[in-house]
Amino acid sequence: MKKTDCIPFQVGLKKILRIMKITAFIVFILSMQVYAKSFGQTEKLNLSMNSTIKDVIERIEEVSGYRFVLKYNASILDKKVDVKYTNESIERVLDDLLKETGFTYKIVDRYIAIRPVNETEVIDQQQKSVSGKVIDSSGIPVPGVSVVVVGTTNGTITDGDGGYSITNIPANATLQFSFVGMKTQMVEVGNKTSINVTMDEEAIGLDEVIAVGYGTQKKADLTGAISVVKMESLKSVSLSSGNSMQALQGRVPGLYIEKTGSPTGAPSRILIRGVNTLGDPNPLYIIDGVPTKRPEVFQSLNPGSIESVQVLKDASASSIYGARASNGVIIVTTNNGSKKNGEVSIQYNSNFSMQSEKNQRFKMVNAEDRGKILWQASVNDRVNPADGYGAIYGFDWNNDYNNPVLNKVTVKPFVGGDPNVPVGDTDWQAEAYKTGYVTNNDITISGGNDKSSALLGMGYIKNTGMMKYTNYDRISARLNAQTSVFQGKIKVGMNTQMVSSNETLQCPDLGSSPTPGLAINLAPTIPMYTLTGEYAGPIGSGYSDRNNPVHMQYLNRWDNTNRTFLFGNVFTEISPMKNLVFRSTLGIDYSMVNNKNIEQRFTEGFIARAVNSLRNINSNFTSVSWSNTLNYKLDFGQSKVAVLAGIESVGDNFKDITAYKEGFAVQTEEFFVLSAGTANGNSFGTAQSSRLFSQFGKVEYAFSDKYLATATLRRDGSSRFGANNRYGLFPAATLGWRISAEPFMANLTQISNLKLRAGAGRVGNQDVGSFASLGLYEPRYGATAFEGAGIPHVGFFDQYRNVGTAYDITGSNTGNLPSGFVSVQAANPSLRWESTKEFNIGLDFGIFNNKLIGAFDYFTRETSDILIRPPVASAVGEGQLQFLNGATKTNKGWELSLSYAGGKRDADFTYNISASAGHFKDKITVLPEEVRTGYPGNAEQSIIGHSELSVFGYVTDGLFQNAAEVAAHASQPGAAPGRIRYKDLNGDKKVDALDQKFIGTLLPAMEYSLRIELNYKNFDLAIFGSGVAGKTGYCPYIQMNNFVRGRDNAAPGLFNAWSPSNTNSTIPALTLSDNNSEFRTSDYFMINASYFKLRNISLGYKVPASALKKIGVVKELRVYAMADNVFWITSKEWQGPDPERTDVNTIPIPRTISFGVNVSF
Amino acid sequence: MNYKNFGRILIILAFSLASCNDYLDTEPEGYISAGNSTAESANGLVIAAYAGIANDDMIGPMTSMWVYGSVRSDDAYKGGGGVGDVADVNFYEQYNLTTPSQVWMGAYTWENFYAAISRANAALRSLNELKDEDFIPSSLRKIRIAEARFLRAHSHFVMKQIFKNIPFIDETLSNEDILKTKNNQLTNDQLWNKIGDDFKYAMDNLPESQPEVGRVNKYAATAYLAKLRLYQAYEQDASNKVTGITAARLNEVVTLTQSVIASGKYRLQPDFAENFLDGFDNGPESVFAVQFSISDGTSAGRLSFVTGLNYPTGASQYGCCGFHQPSQSLVNAFATDAAGLPKFNTFNNVELSAADITPKGVTVDPRIDHTVGMDGHPYKYRNDAAYIFKNGWVRDPGVYGFFQSMKEQQAADCSCYKKLGPFMGTSKNIDIIRYADVLLMQAEAYIELGQQDKAMPLINQIRVRAASSTGRTKFADGTPPSNYKIAQYDGVNLPWTKENARMALQWERRLEFAMESPRFFDLVRWGIAEPTLNAYLAKEKTRRAFLGSAKFTAGRDEYFPIPQREIDFTKGLYVQNPGY
Repeated sequence: MKKTDCIPFQVGLKKILRIMKITAFIVFILSMQVYAKSFGQTEKLNLSMNSTIKDVIERIEEVSGYRFVLKYNASILDKKVDVKYTNESIERVLDDLLKETGFTYKIVDRYIAIRPVNETEVIDQQQKSVSGKVIDSSGIPVPGVSVVVVGTTNGTITDGDGGYSITNIPANATLQFSFVGMKTQMVEVGNKTSINVTMDEEAIGLDEVIAVGYGTQKKADLTGAISVVKMESLKSVSLSSGNSMQALQGRVPGLYIEKTGSPTGAPSRILIRGVNTLGDPNPLYIIDGVPTKRPEVFQSLNPGSIESVQVLKDASASSIYGARASNGVIIVTTNNGSKKNGEVSIQYNSNFSMQSEKNQRFKMVNAEDRGKILWQASVNDRVNPADGYGAIYGFDWNNDYNNPVLNKVTVKPFVGGDPNVPVGDTDWQAEAYKTGYVTNNDITISGGNDKSSALLGMGYIKNTGMMKYTNYDRISARLNAQTSVFQGKIKVGMNTQMVSSNETLQCPDLGSSPTPGLAINLAPTIPMYTLTGEYAGPIGSGYSDRNNPVHMQYLNRWDNTNRTFLFGNVFTEISPMKNLVFRSTLGIDYSMVNNKNIEQRFTEGFIARAVNSLRNINSNFTSVSWSNTLNYKLDFGQSKVAVLAGIESVGDNFKDITAYKEGFAVQTEEFFVLSAGTANGNSFGTAQSSRLFSQFGKVEYAFSDKYLATATLRRDGSSRFGANNRYGLFPAATLGWRISAEPFMANLTQISNLKLRAGAGRVGNQDVGSFASLGLYEPRYGATAFEGAGIPHVGFFDQYRNVGTAYDITGSNTGNLPSGFVSVQAANPSLRWESTKEFNIGLDFGIFNNKLIGAFDYFTRETSDILIRPPVASAVGEGQLQFLNGATKTNKGWELSLSYAGGKRDADFTYNISASAGHFKDKITVLPEEVRTGYPGNAEQSIIGHSELSVFGYVTDGLFQNAAEVAAHASQPGAAPGRIRYKDLNGDKKVDALDQKFIGTLLPAMEYSLRIELNYKNFDLAIFGSGVAGKTGYCPYIQMNNFVRGRDNAAPGLFNAWSPSNTNSTIPALTLSDNNSEFRTSDYFMINASYFKLRNISLGYKVPASALKKIGVVKELRVYAMADNVFWITSKEWQGPDPERTDVNTIPIPRTISFGVNVSF
Repeated sequence: MNYKNFGRILIILAFSLASCNDYLDTEPEGYISAGNSTAESANGLVIAAYAGIANDDMIGPMTSMWVYGSVRSDDAYKGGGGVGDVADVNFYEQYNLTTPSQVWMGAYTWENFYAAISRANAALRSLNELKDEDFIPSSLRKIRIAEARFLRAHSHFVMKQIFKNIPFIDETLSNEDILKTKNNQLTNDQLWNKIGDDFKYAMDNLPESQPEVGRVNKYAATAYLAKLRLYQAYEQDASNKVTGITAARLNEVVTLTQSVIASGKYRLQPDFAENFLDGFDNGPESVFAVQFSISDGTSAGRLSFVTGLNYPTGASQYGCCGFHQPSQSLVNAFATDAAGLPKFNTFNNVELSAADITPKGVTVDPRIDHTVGMDGHPYKYRNDAAYIFKNGWVRDPGVYGFFQSMKEQQAADCSCYKKLGPFMGTSKNIDIIRYADVLLMQAEAYIELGQQDKAMPLINQIRVRAASSTGRTKFADGTPPSNYKIAQYDGVNLPWTKENARMALQWERRLEFAMESPRFFDLVRWGIAEPTLNAYLAKEKTRRAFLGSAKFTAGRDEYFPIPQREIDFTKGLYVQNPGY
């Protein structure tokens, strides 16, 4: 036969199988019967149709579990038949169906092959036979794979065990193995008689069906800005943090994640396309159809249980989620085991990591060098150094302020003269941190067939923490199960996730100073321990009132936050007729947080806490959602229409209870329960609830698979909004054009896929308090501002500020007090949604047979009616703030992703290079005057026209070198030789608040990432790096390395400070008094914070199947080693170690070395 | 399943939620909406108004004025760990308030007092809606109105002392009206009268005594009105210059203070110490005090944290943070001459240290050991070894010297103390007006009226009490830590001219209320802030380098700037004070 003859064969096969797959997806009709060889053989069919053979075949697939495979693009498919069977065997049905068609069939297991009757099997003695087995990448046999001798019509399909046998193979033949969703493979037969093949899944096929919100869509038909992440490709990503969000970093252009080194692995910032509101910028998560705004639900999923993640970035994609979608939507689908073809598979992953922050430490000076620096600063200020620091140091100098000479600094032998506390030379960073160990194990058992399936997953992660006495552990479990009844008309199932975690994190000292900062700044002369073994602290003058950070961590080692989640759904899907699916999902998002805070009695140096206490905070959050949708698909020749209509309700309830007690006689962990406290105690509690009720619809239209259109509309009603504006409408529309499907593209064979997309839509944001529109009074017995909601102040001092309504009117000084009421919020019945309008245009392309694929998106969005609570003149009085729809922001940007798959498919060496870049720039365009003072800017320049995260400050112009330069410069309070010169930007001859400008933004102008994956035989190597450009950031080390802070330790750069004899320095002359206000926001601190980080390298080795055979049960075994946070490149200006550590009060992002295994059985 | 019924099921499901408006109606829990007044709710609002004037804030003081009145005067330094520690107060101390974007202290004090005023007004609106018959006894309604007006007047008065030009807010103004009320709507004198009207109403409608000691009575209102009239008597022009003293107002002061004195309800505490010691709250000298309490079921206790930064820092029984340190000038001012009178002209020629102030050292007014903590002296009347003050307790002597404030503190083991984080709050009341002030106000009025002879016995009453207040300051062996010598004025030891009497009165006020912080407001009232403070700075900066560039600018520094954010919030409706 001619070579071209095989083409119709393939097309036909694929087409039918595709139908099969989609049907399998949309109508999950399964039973709990365990798959057996005899499956279906005895099953009887009920059929009554007057339609084409194609429809009948599909119907049989639906109701029987049989799958059809055509060996030819059979013209018989369009033949009309009239069938009516009751309780009939499959053989009988097929006999009738194929009668007089010239075709016959063969049942292999539950696959039915249809082929021409007249095809004779020519037996040629010179030809040979080949047999073998086809498995997938996890070692599971793949039935139904078509095996064809290339260039002939000779072929077969694999059986239930993945086995096949094919005869009559000519010499030099090549076998082609193909299956939908898997990469097609060609194998030369040569003189082999047995050929086993491992099929790899195709990365993201255009035929892939993905969840897009209350339904599914083919990737080829997508018209919104949606990034799809297949979790199977993430197995090489280190999950040393136990946080699935870590795996997304650098894989989704436009998704920006900032991290810290907290043992929980929780990121500090997650943004999709930048910051679009002035309020909460967190995206909405839809996990198995259940909405939540709690990022921890997603973060605690085991990667093994995630099937796919879709990130809906633009409004046209996300508007089906209406009022909560303005920050983007992350849709997560968990694995349900239905693809296991009856097998039970077990996947086990184990990872062991070591985390260290050594590379992120700030270099600080020792005790003696600090004395030299303090001496220099004191004499520069013409203050006797012994007055300030005589208790710590002996200064031997010439006592001449005009020409000071230091002979020697001696460190006094005892802290505060206390003979029990010999002076130390403590490296607090070395004391506070240790290597952290993380073990992360998860096991996933899944099985079933397309009637019934189940997935059981369990995971346990433990992180011993790098900072001493911190730790984190989490146990999680998942159970997904589903089955179908009534020939698949009704499907029911559930997806549940249960998580329980415990954390003991960094804590503040007695004065609320966090320990990571203390571990850098505390004076080195304080030792860790006293002679008698207690933790040492400051004594005598010259010290700050800050505590020993290790002691603080030790004292708080029993503090614990226990979080328990229950998240999931139960659903039913009913398909009363072909193409119509009704789905009802009842979802729950439940979270219970128990926080135990023990404050022990202690004495440390001159700092003490005399009364111990216990505070228990218990909060419960329950969100119950119920959604009901109808999906209907229609085909009219070349036109395809899909319609979705639905309603949804979401009810949230939150309650918290705080109980507090003082006076615990014994300080053991077990004794700290509330009833054991004998002194002062009190309790508090609040409750809040909100409701959301929504109606929505969506129409998808495709013409000839080339022209695509989607329209959605959602109407949301929220209890949070004023009676006048309770409902909001959120419409969107998109258009797509698959250019590559046009006939005129047929000759451009290099271009395998080209699609232009455009969309516009509106989404909303409702994140204001639950009762933001009402005017409220509350009895506020004795709260501090810390406990009262919505009282704007300086956080730390709020705990000392009474805002209560109780008063000791009787002068009795103690006991219960009379109390009253206070206004807490003014009413605004007109409060309405914040709304975001967005326009997105994108291009998807695949070139060179999809070896190079990519996407480009450009968007503009405008968020208006942004919910703000502007301050009002204090004269209006207490509790008169109200939420208003007051501000507008715009945001523009683009995203580009490119990926190239290199190397021949079956070669020993393959590689994949992917890169992405994204840019967004936000701008505030409308902002009420009264709130502008809360943003960067001054009386003349406001934030309008600038990014919300702009940096506004002074511009420096080197240091004054002499008195003449000071005199020549504009009047600048505190100016002196050796001090920073600030530019007189407005030229009014004085440097004041008006001489500031916008000097950058904290959000980068561009983020980019690069990933290289190499496979050589059984080895795989992956390298991932990402970076940001155009970011202005605060460099904390400048404060330590360029300025003396009299109570804190110093860094070595200070030895190079400006002096009349060292005029070349950029470090100002040392001073303790900062008369020049040099800590003001300026380009001296806010510098170019761009960087590139090589975040991850991993090397894996798959044990060959031949070796595994000896072990038996193990189907696949991969071992790997990995390093995180490997190295980084910063701008020249950056002085600190890690460009991502802009806050010294967070634990740095560790360098992690991990080893692990992935095993499947 | 019968698929024909399917559509019906769907419809039922779809519409089971259709009554969505009911579903969306949720009620806030734990709140009430503003509704009809009852006597009970009105009483509650009055209590909340009392709480309002006590809702003090460490960084927005309402009761102790140490930040505004003491550190800004010649009495005290900011203290703490260097000039950068709570830098806002350093700017106050250096009269460097043109530095923009200062929010701590001034701006929060403004906010806190207007919150207190709004509570009083909320109570008044509720009381106005009710009738006398709603109360039992029916006289109670007017009493409650009088209390609320007193509290409102107190807030306005303190604000006026600090900021001078403030919007006057009463219960008749709606939020919209308030946002149209300028801070210079009234002239200086009109504003005094407006505030005075509230005190007068209170004086006329309050009973002589109240069953609950924390409530204000007729004499508290009378004394406060006297204080207001005394301030009002010194007429100021727009640039804060005192242009004259109105005799009619002084006569009112005399009458009003006489009424308080004649009531017989008040007297000086036998020992000066008792005004500053736990256990003597609401004593006979306390005319009007803000009440604080402990172990009262609130989270932290309704404690005063306003001086919570001001403990000697290095003492293990204390902790933090060594703010509010007496100046060298103040310590010097306690020295007495051979006759036991102040060294009016020479006091500041020396630089007294703890080494000079000893049982055999220079003679001093006994009030020094009630006011100043210093090396080797018992701290806060405790003479056990752990409480003898040591230089090591001082936080940053290189900048601020070795003296520490004492009046606002208690001994560390006081049951009135609660430590929260590094700071200690106290349930000790803070007196706004004590009887000594009533006596000295009357004396001041007499002197300025030219009747200085009537002032002498009043001043001497104060000095006699000071002389006898040595019982608690001594060492364990009964010997005093300092060489006390103090005498009364007799017209001979100091010729009792009007000028000398005024000098004596001003001195007496400085020592009697030292570190209690009326000093700066006194200087501004008398119109002598600029000469006094610049003379003080000229000398003090030779002792304390950090004051090197401090300078008081007349016509500006008498008052604080209107907080910039309030000007922004009112879109420029408020006019900034002159000079800023």
